[in-house]
Amino acid sequence: MHPPPPGPVREPAWSLSRSAIGLWLAQGVLGTAVWALAGTAFLVFVPADAGWAVRVLRWLGPALVVGYGVVAIGVRPRLRYRVHRWEVTDEAVYTLTGWLTRTWTLVPVSRIQTVDVTRGVVQQLFGLSTVVVLTASSQGTVRMPHLESDVARRVAEDLARRAELVRDEAT
Amino acid sequence: MTERSPVLDVPLGRPAPQRTSPRVLAVHTITFQQARRLVPVALAVIAGTGLDGGRRTVVALAVGVTLVSLGSATLSWWRFGYAIGNGAVVVTRGLLSRSVRTVPLDRVRGVEVEAPVLHRVFGLVRVRIDAAAGAVGNKDEELVVDGLRREDGDRLRTALLTRRGHPASGVPAGDAATSAGPPAEEPEELISRFDNRWLRYAPLVGGYLAVPLAAVGALVRIADELPDRFVPDVGRPDALTGTVVAGALVAALLVLVVGSVVGAAVVNWRFRLVRRGGSLIAVRGLVTRRHTELEIDRIRGCTVTEGLGMRLAGAGRASALVTGLGDATRRGQLLPLGPRTEAWALSARLVEDPGPLRAHPPAARRRLVVRAVLPGLAVLAAGAVLTPTVGWWALLPAGAALAVLGVPLGLGRYAALGHAAGPHSLAVRAGWLVREHTVLQRRAVLGWQVRQSLFQRQAGLATVLACVGAGSGGYAAFDVAADEVAGFARAASGSWVVTLQPPP
Repeated sequence: MHPPPPGPVREPAWSLSRSAIGLWLAQGVLGTAVWALAGTAFLVFVPADAGWAVRVLRWLGPALVVGYGVVAIGVRPRLRYRVHRWEVTDEAVYTLTGWLTRTWTLVPVSRIQTVDVTRGVVQQLFGLSTVVVLTASSQGTVRMPHLESDVARRVAEDLARRAELVRDEAT
Repeated sequence: MTERSPVLDVPLGRPAPQRTSPRVLAVHTITFQQARRLVPVALAVIAGTGLDGGRRTVVALAVGVTLVSLGSATLSWWRFGYAIGNGAVVVTRGLLSRSVRTVPLDRVRGVEVEAPVLHRVFGLVRVRIDAAAGAVGNKDEELVVDGLRREDGDRLRTALLTRRGHPASGVPAGDAATSAGPPAEEPEELISRFDNRWLRYAPLVGGYLAVPLAAVGALVRIADELPDRFVPDVGRPDALTGTVVAGALVAALLVLVVGSVVGAAVVNWRFRLVRRGGSLIAVRGLVTRRHTELEIDRIRGCTVTEGLGMRLAGAGRASALVTGLGDATRRGQLLPLGPRTEAWALSARLVEDPGPLRAHPPAARRRLVVRAVLPGLAVLAAGAVLTPTVGWWALLPAGAALAVLGVPLGLGRYAALGHAAGPHSLAVRAGWLVREHTVLQRRAVLGWQVRQSLFQRQAGLATVLACVGAGSGGYAAFDVAADEVAGFARAASGSWVVTLQPPP
């Protein structure tokens, strides 16, 4: 499961539910469909004899769309699933996100200002929610994407309650 | 409500709202403060009716515009009120729909008293009350009380800050209320004073160089719009000999240098940084006199900025990182321009120095040099393709030059990197064109973010960002050795960072 060189810091303990893969697959399919539509529109509406740049684009465009589709559907969902991890400890919230560039974020419970739970349209189909933990820093925001909805709600309630209890000066 | 009733005399209980000075009507009428919102409408009306440009029309237009401006200024003055009481500051306004904003005094992060030139003519000031709720402050989180008499402004500032600091204790009234000028409630300690010799650094600072450039740009636009008969006939382009070009260059350089010095002088005129009680107070400006108050308790760190040119001249700038301070880059400035020793002395006063910086590993140097050389190599490759096909041979030497210049650039960026963790503070430094050295208090860190790209993972590096509720929100140590990350974070903040520690 682990990538060959160990990360600079510990990995959070918990992985996401497998429905997250389904969600990312759906997002990949949707994204590819949008690009394919744009490419088709280009092929249909731009005359083919409008210069060498258009001739190059007529070949390059479909190739890029196919490449994007392969990565977004075939590679990225599984890679993301292997990378994404999260953990809530007694003292802190800890996540690992990304697929090529990985980002670990750690915020202590005592510095949490607000906890949000959001559900996107696609997320609702898969019964998933995102927990967003906000602090006084614009860059110290922890996103825990695609948790199962009831887990997300419990985590958010627990964090909000504990943040209220242990809040020191939040800035 | 009597004319002299200062905010201090308002008893605890239901505060009576106060108006600003009526003299502000003159200022707002002249500047179209309220009426400028009507300008698009007026233009549309004028365009629609198609006025002819007779003298009578112009006079009527001028009188009408002034009357509208006076009217709207009067209305908004009449409907505006502010009050302090019950532990909050309340600002009421709005012509038709009333808006009442109540900000608890403990949410007031800072108070700025500024006096633009027209305000000074009428002896007025504008008070900006920073009431950021925590995250990045925007303009909405600012209360503006425009057009107080200077002594009322000072009184409001004192009341806001004193009540916030000691919610229980009463504020001494009377003696301070009668004295003109800044009330002498606590002894002042002068920390820094602008030395006019420091103006010689101004041409080395990008921001000040932009002043003459903007002025020249505006002039060019005006000259473009002048009718042709007003533009002197300078001569035809074929008269551009070498001497003319050289002369123009020298003149442009002179304009830049003089303009930046003048710009810096106007903005920083008689800059003084004093400490009064628990606050730092910065006063500066020739045309608009600004009076910014920073609470020392809310200062979380300090950034010393040294640009490329400034490093050559030994100059530096220092700004405080203050939580919840709106418009922080301008307001946080402690030393806008000066010798680097002065900047460092200021920084050391606010935040303990965490000790010498640790250099980053050789892999970071390799990575930065490669990144700096790559654009040149890309141009070179493009040249290699395009020279035989299209004949753009110029790309080859340009790419080679860029690639060679990339080496010192990468080395320079590497030399700027550094981080340190001390018992009470931490420091990170980065940047070649603009080198920023930030020292943060330990308590400032409210989270960590570790980033590792694909290439960083191969090189065994990572970027560590300390999340802070002040300044830009986060301060990063770029390309730290991956196995040092957890140790640095642990040394630089509380015990909760143990979570990051990789298993042995």
